[in-house]
This record gives sequence, structure tokens and C-alpha cells, in this order.
Amino acid sequence: MRKVWFLMIVCSIAFLLFKSPNSVIESMITSSTNAIELLIKLLGIYAIWLGILEIVEQSKLNIVLSNLLSPIIKWLFGDVDKQTKNYISLNLSSNMLGLGNACTPMGIKAMQQLDKNHHSITASHQMIMLLILNATSIQLLPTTVISLRASFNSLEPTNIILPSIIATAVSTLVGVLGVKFMQKLFKGRNKN
Amino acid sequence: MNASIFIIPVLLFFLIIYATIKKVNCYASFVLGAKKALELCYNLFPYLIAIFFALELFKVSGLVDILSNILSPVLNFFGIPPELSQLLLIRPFSGSGGLSALQDLFIKYGADSYISRCGCVLVGSSETIFYIATIYFSQTKIKRLWYAIPLALVACFVGAIVGCLLCKII
Repeated sequence: MRKVWFLMIVCSIAFLLFKSPNSVIESMITSSTNAIELLIKLLGIYAIWLGILEIVEQSKLNIVLSNLLSPIIKWLFGDVDKQTKNYISLNLSSNMLGLGNACTPMGIKAMQQLDKNHHSITASHQMIMLLILNATSIQLLPTTVISLRASFNSLEPTNIILPSIIATAVSTLVGVLGVKFMQKLFKGRNKN
Repeated sequence: MNASIFIIPVLLFFLIIYATIKKVNCYASFVLGAKKALELCYNLFPYLIAIFFALELFKVSGLVDILSNILSPVLNFFGIPPELSQLLLIRPFSGSGGLSALQDLFIKYGADSYISRCGCVLVGSSETIFYIATIYFSQTKIKRLWYAIPLALVACFVGAIVGCLLCKII
């Protein structure tokens, strides 16, 4: 992230110095406004989902869910403590249902829990696994894309569902296998 | 497809009923949980600004066009239509940016064209990787993500290749 950010900023500004130095300041204003706008939207929707999550936790439904998903989590993450498992299972199930806004706060909680048991500033395999699962999420119905297509008078707006599902399954598989491979390659590193 | 609109309402309905049967004070729990959103967004704020600023500069400077020109032959080699290069570059950073790039494709080539369908699969099957990585690690002490981002990018790229191939067949 550090490197990407550095490259993006430096190259862009270097370019703009020749093209239109003015737009650097313009970008400062537009980007900060957009970011705040998004933040306020996120604040609202996260508050609702975190509220719902709390109800799920209080009613012990998360434990039921994590017991159901236990074998999958065990295979993906190895041994994790109970609390982490609960958050991961909530994150994964909301992910599969396509509840993008719901899975993020739960994923963050799972990540914090993993962070608590991890004593290094380098991400662990388990953390990366969680990130990969979310970054290549299995989304069963890409609803936004379908409705966008429909609004452009597509004859068959849903005929992209099947390729999308297969493509996302492939990407998830590649990601998971990649983490597993790295785990084998750097076996000792997770322990220290 | 319409079944999907029932998922959230139905789940929520049964959750509240179930919790009440289990003698959970739903109102109090909800308020307690919602409160945590403030802290979460408080921690998120600086990262969000950083990523938005960089992305805006990146777009305004025209670097996107130059990079996508460089990328085109590479994409061609992997069977992805080169018209998608801009979408492919923006998608990992921003969800709304990806959607507007997709919209451009619809306008240019029509929603039912092969290129647009590939674009749809690309957007539908990938995620905003940099954005997710930033958010997920924003609440932790992690400073080095190690191989996380390259692997996520490779995985999504492989997914995109397969998706474009499938669009040709189906």
C-alpha cells in the first residue's frame, strides 16, 4: 500500500506539473469531499449493520452459524479461537449472500480478533486468507451490474450471472490455493 | 433473480423474532452495536482520505489512459479485450469508479456487446482490492501486508481471464 500510494501520488503530480498544475488543488477539494461523503454514508450503514450484529451476538445465533461453518473455517484458517471463528463465519456468510455492506464491519471485527493473537506488524497467513476471501468474494448475484445493464436496454441483463459466478469461484480458488502455498513455503514464519 | 430482494428483509424479520423469543433486548443491543460504528469510521477516516486523494490525482493526471495503453497488448495476450484496460485499472481502487467505467463501455459498445458482457463479469467477479485491504487493516497494528495484495490481484486477474473466455462461449 505504501509503495502504491507513493507511486500514484508522485507520478501523477509529476505529470500534472506539465499538463495543468491547477488540477492538483482541484483534486484536493473533490477527493476530500467525496471521501467525507462516502464516510458519512458508511457511518450510517455500518451503524445499522453493527446494531444487527449485536442482536445476532446476544441471541447466540453466531455460535450456531460458526458451528455450521466450522469444518470450512478449520480447513481455511487452521486453529482459531472461538470468538474469531464467530466473526469469520458471519463475514463469510454475509459475503456469500451478497450483503456487501454487512460483511465489511464483521470482517473488520474478525481481523481485529486475529490481530489480538498476533504479535508482529507483518500480516499473518490467517489475516491474508481473510482478506483474500473478501477481495475475491463469492457473490452469488451481482445485482448492481444487472440493474445497470437493464437500464441500458439490454435484451438479457441476467446472462452474465453464470460467467460471473464461475469467474469469481475461480478467483477465490486461486487466492485460497495461493495462501495455502505460501503457508507451506514459509512454514516457520507464522509462529514468531 | 427477484428472490434476492427478499434475503435481507426475511433474515432481519426472523432474527428479531428469534432474538425476542430468546429474551434478548433487541433495542438495547442494537443501540449498543450501532455506537461502535463511530469508532470504526473514526479510525477509517484518514485512510479513506489518503486513498481518495491518490485516486483522484491518478485519474485527473491522465496516467490511467497511458497505463491502459501499455496494458492493452498484455490483456490481448491473455484473451481479455483491450477495451477493458481502463476498467481493469480503476476497479481495484473504487467501486463507483468501476461502475462508471462500465457505464462508458455500455454507451460506447452497447449493453449486449461482447465487450460489455466481459466488463460486467469483470465487475461482478472482482472486488475493490486496495480499498478492502485498507479498510480491513485500518483497525489493526499491521504495517506490512506481505503478499496479500499481489495475490489478490493475481487471483482476480485469473478470474477475469476465465470470465472473458466464458463470455465467448455462452
